[in-house]
Amino acid sequence: MLLIAGTVPVKGLPLTLGAVNRDGDYLVVNGQSIPCTQGTGTMLSSALATAEYLGMEAPQALVVGDDGRGKGSNTLYQYLIENVANLPLKVLALHYCLPNMSLTRSLCSTIKKCSQRPHLIADAAAMYAAKAAGLAREFDIFTPDATEMAFLADPNATHPAYINRHLFDTDITQTPHLVAEAYRQNSAAKVLLVKGAIDYIAREGEIIAQVNEPDVPALEAIGGTGDTITGLVAAFLHAGLEPHEAAIISARTNRMAGQYASATPATRVREIIPHFARVFREHLCQWSRICYAKGENNND
Amino acid sequence: MVLLKRKQKAPFAGEGLALFNEVQEAMKAEKALKDAGYNVKLVAPPPELRKGCDLAVAINLVEQPGVERALKQGNVDYVSISPLNIATAALLEIVKVTDFGRWLMVRAGNMKLTFAKESGVIVNTSGGGCPDIPVMHLELLGKKLKEAPRPRETGYTLCALMLDHALEKALELTKESR
Repeated sequence: MLLIAGTVPVKGLPLTLGAVNRDGDYLVVNGQSIPCTQGTGTMLSSALATAEYLGMEAPQALVVGDDGRGKGSNTLYQYLIENVANLPLKVLALHYCLPNMSLTRSLCSTIKKCSQRPHLIADAAAMYAAKAAGLAREFDIFTPDATEMAFLADPNATHPAYINRHLFDTDITQTPHLVAEAYRQNSAAKVLLVKGAIDYIAREGEIIAQVNEPDVPALEAIGGTGDTITGLVAAFLHAGLEPHEAAIISARTNRMAGQYASATPATRVREIIPHFARVFREHLCQWSRICYAKGENNND
Repeated sequence: MVLLKRKQKAPFAGEGLALFNEVQEAMKAEKALKDAGYNVKLVAPPPELRKGCDLAVAINLVEQPGVERALKQGNVDYVSISPLNIATAALLEIVKVTDFGRWLMVRAGNMKLTFAKESGVIVNTSGGGCPDIPVMHLELLGKKLKEAPRPRETGYTLCALMLDHALEKALELTKESR
């Protein structure tokens, strides 16, 4: 099972668990509608589009409403702490939430005791909490953007709003230095996918790939284009790719889909995700050797 | 699958301190914040952070904007809110601007806000990871900068505060361009 857990901007939505389905511009989880907008909704939509192409079961979602005061986030983490050992998880992806270090510690402690440890992905505030709690090394993949990479490299910051100014001032070409710093401080997951003008993929402190084509600068302005990448990573990891392979293919897919969508800074992320199928059809076989999903890609 | 019941209150998260001149204000702050739903506790501040009395309120630092608003609404007189770790840098105030031709993107910390130069309409917000950010994304898109709700007034987290900094800079830029 691929489980994506995070908060959504739906007032009063109780903690809800179920398979993700699509209904027009909305996602549906156990009868509850969730907007496909920046955040966990976009990550779910991206993972669903990828799973559908690969002919896999739909991702499971654990979602809850939270307006920023953290009640939903705390409920979500408590549920995971109490139930994660009983869920047949292959991949657990943690996303939008109010970062809470003590709950993150409890969750990681529980996961350590699981008979089969799932792959762990963290993005957004789940990543902030994991780093701030000193638990980054428990995770398989983090997907920071350039500022969040600076946050991971700052030994004293518990949130990107408090990173050292000289780290904020670094440009994307300084990412390898920040990556090295983060690994030196044990503040990075086993694999990092750093999203930016150049996407860097690092494994255990070493930059193993850079993705910079096609160049679609507008993607940085579009809310949710980081969430799409993390959704892609989660789905490909669930499909059996190695974490670094999933990261490289996801970075390529996101850029290519942005190009196919003729993305501008005013584009909405929901206009990009439908282009994933074309990207997969035309490139996935070459990139990953996944060539026969649904028969659409059988070009050999 | 069924809808799941809420579980009990989360344990304390910490990493930030609200500091006071008077012990009574610290106690008043604890009550005001607990009444507002925050998970806080009274603690003794480390000597290097002591600014007045020897009592402080420990908070989850990421909730700083919401905590400050609750203290003001409760008429609590506080000195400052600080990270518990004194080596932590000051709150980021600088912003960066990217010109996309018809649009400008303003980046403050981990948050980005993009608006159309001609109309002043917000076309996108991106970045962040706190739960109020998707809420504000929906609230801000399509609004003119001058008419947009201020994230520091409607949000609760440091991500919201950074988004507010970006909006503030965008408002300055539109004034300068006239």
